[in-house]
Amino acid sequence: MLHLKPYNLLVQKTLTEALEAYNNGSPLTLDRIISDFDYTTLHITNDGTDKSNLLVSIRTKATQSCNESGNDLQGFLQAKFDEVPGLALSSAKKEAGYDFTITVDLSQITAQSIVQASLFKILVMSYPFYLAFGQSNALSQLNEIDQVEKSKEARAMVIKYRDDENIYIKPSFDRITVIFETIFQDETDKVFGKVFLQEFVDARKRNRSIQSAPQVLFSHEPPLEIQEVAQQHAHVAGAKKSTRRFITFVLFPRHYSSDELMFTSVSQLALFRNYFHYHIKCAKAYMHSRMRYRVDTFIKVLNRAKLDEETESDSRRTITGRKMVY
Amino acid sequence: MSYLNNPAVVMDNGTGLTKLGFAGNDSPSWVFPTAIATAQSGKSQSSSNKSTGFGSSSANAQSSYLSGGGNSTSATDFNSLASSTLISNNLAGKRGTEDLDFYIGNEALVASQGPSYSLSYPIRHGQVENWDHMERFWENSIFKYLRTEPEDHFFLLTEPPLNPPENRQQVAEIFFESFNCAGLYIAVQAVLALAASWTSSKVTDRSLTGTVIDSGDGVTHVIPVAEGYVIGSAIKNIPIAGRDITLFIQSLLRERGEQDASLRTAERIKQEYCYVCPDIVKEFNKFDRDSEKFAQFIVENKERTTKKVVDVGYERFLAPEIFFNPEIASSDFLTPLPVVVDETIQACPIDVRKGLYNNIVLSGGSTMFKDFGRRLQRDLKGIVNDRISQSEKLSGTRSTGVDVSVISHKRQRNAVWFGGSLLAQTGEFKSYCHTKQDYEEYGPDIVRNFSLFNMI
Repeated sequence: MLHLKPYNLLVQKTLTEALEAYNNGSPLTLDRIISDFDYTTLHITNDGTDKSNLLVSIRTKATQSCNESGNDLQGFLQAKFDEVPGLALSSAKKEAGYDFTITVDLSQITAQSIVQASLFKILVMSYPFYLAFGQSNALSQLNEIDQVEKSKEARAMVIKYRDDENIYIKPSFDRITVIFETIFQDETDKVFGKVFLQEFVDARKRNRSIQSAPQVLFSHEPPLEIQEVAQQHAHVAGAKKSTRRFITFVLFPRHYSSDELMFTSVSQLALFRNYFHYHIKCAKAYMHSRMRYRVDTFIKVLNRAKLDEETESDSRRTITGRKMVY
Repeated sequence: MSYLNNPAVVMDNGTGLTKLGFAGNDSPSWVFPTAIATAQSGKSQSSSNKSTGFGSSSANAQSSYLSGGGNSTSATDFNSLASSTLISNNLAGKRGTEDLDFYIGNEALVASQGPSYSLSYPIRHGQVENWDHMERFWENSIFKYLRTEPEDHFFLLTEPPLNPPENRQQVAEIFFESFNCAGLYIAVQAVLALAASWTSSKVTDRSLTGTVIDSGDGVTHVIPVAEGYVIGSAIKNIPIAGRDITLFIQSLLRERGEQDASLRTAERIKQEYCYVCPDIVKEFNKFDRDSEKFAQFIVENKERTTKKVVDVGYERFLAPEIFFNPEIASSDFLTPLPVVVDETIQACPIDVRKGLYNNIVLSGGSTMFKDFGRRLQRDLKGIVNDRISQSEKLSGTRSTGVDVSVISHKRQRNAVWFGGSLLAQTGEFKSYCHTKQDYEEYGPDIVRNFSLFNMI
């Protein structure tokens, strides 16, 4: 179905091919540009003449703001890549024009490390989320009065992942609020988006079996959690301010109680905008196919109504009803 | 406007294969069949059972099985959890989500082996036949395979020569209205194939004049291009292409009674062993004298338990020979390729003929045979020289001669895509595109005209 995978299929395919070729004794010469959502470009190259090593570099718009939220994105990524064999974040080999570079040692990597490498973009974006999980857990350890007070003080983190759209993450002692700011370029999209989001909000109310999913709220005004932060960015939005919408997801501790849950929550949230826009586009495609179908049926009706050009007087027919041709 | 830094997306949707990738790369990122497997209507029950095989939860299948309709994964269902209670009262339940239930490319081939999906090829003879399917095919290839937000990227698409302008408009409507892509350029495949030949060392001037021989799986085209414009009236088609060669090899294997004469084996033999020879008679003699020339092809089954040995003999040079002597394989088309090329060029305006003879460019998988270009050049030279000496005899004047050169290069297989990648990575590319703003200002008519690339 139309479920977007958190990892980049193309990076996975390229690395798998490279690994196969390496194992077959004929390593590939690679110099590939690969793109991902939200102004992300990845670059896979050989490490100089050494064909057993690959470099994977990433440039994404979100890097700077992600790093600002905790100032140790480098260390975070390092830890993530050290979990699997064959990958290492390398600051020495960092490619010019890119934010991070990892070295891939083809003699060591496994299928798992290939997946980890193809999650590069998600990993960069997940840093603030993991910080928020950490903060939330720390806050929940405090006594009751402090919990409330400190939670109020906790700063909302901002991921500036697109030109005019940001993600805000606000940790609290009993929840984490993730707020997406959306602006539509296109008028039609706005309408589709509204219907889609409404469905999204309502689905949880109607369907008992997805009660455990995070709560979704939809508003025109910046939610209270991020009012001050959003004020700071108000000048950025400027004229587009009136078209801004906010989608809020409320994560409860059950959504980040284990590592596995944390990862699924993060990857699904990080892909939310893409998923959202993807489905708006699918909806439009569906509308188009309905329109084409309708036009076809109208044309059929018109064709039926068309009068035969020939009148009976100037064409003669045989006894079986066939036309006589002179 | 940070989308200006994003690489342009190059998409070449052919009859058989689709080539997708980013400008600046030397090969397409994805090459898969232009096929789409859609859920068959009225079989939603079995389709939801089927979908368990493709990763959705079994609870899902069961819930829609019980409710008896609709598809398993509702559009509003974020965590892809079961949605049995949802079906009765929300939109997804009312109309179903069949339109979202499809696969493209290789996944489509796999899915269509099951009972609940039907396979279709939205492109026939190079032109889009089914726009509904094509729109969905694009949607999936952009988001799932290329992982790009079309609003952030420029797109370069290809079209066959003689594509009606209405089709271009349809493409523009889909790309600008459904996908809101930042900018669009639609290039003619033959022109891109010419551009791809610039990588060859034989090419000295980067002109867009030349004859393109594009041989894919279904049909071979001979397309003359003058200064970047296709001379439509002179295009010729030959109903001999990759598939015919494969079938010919298969028939030879069958006649000899080889152990394995499947289409797949024939195709592998074609790709790995075939070459073009200068002279059939001599080649037969060579084979008879030297048993080294015969090869053996070993077919293993999936589990690698049984081995079948297939001898590969004369078909090594006979198979590609059907381009040059079609009578050995076909009974209804008998004109050799060099003659067709010559006729094509003779049908063009006299001012460009020299340029067309001078720059004959190969493109497509079926031109990849070793020495294909050399043989074509020799045969064509023969025809041209005969004509020149004839006219010299009749008029009594000396001719300055015509240079015939056929250009082979390394990127022949995906020449069209590669040409697109070359053009789309240049700085000027974006100024040649029509942007979303232009489209909204003028409407779909705007894509009837694209200014030509003249990068020298």
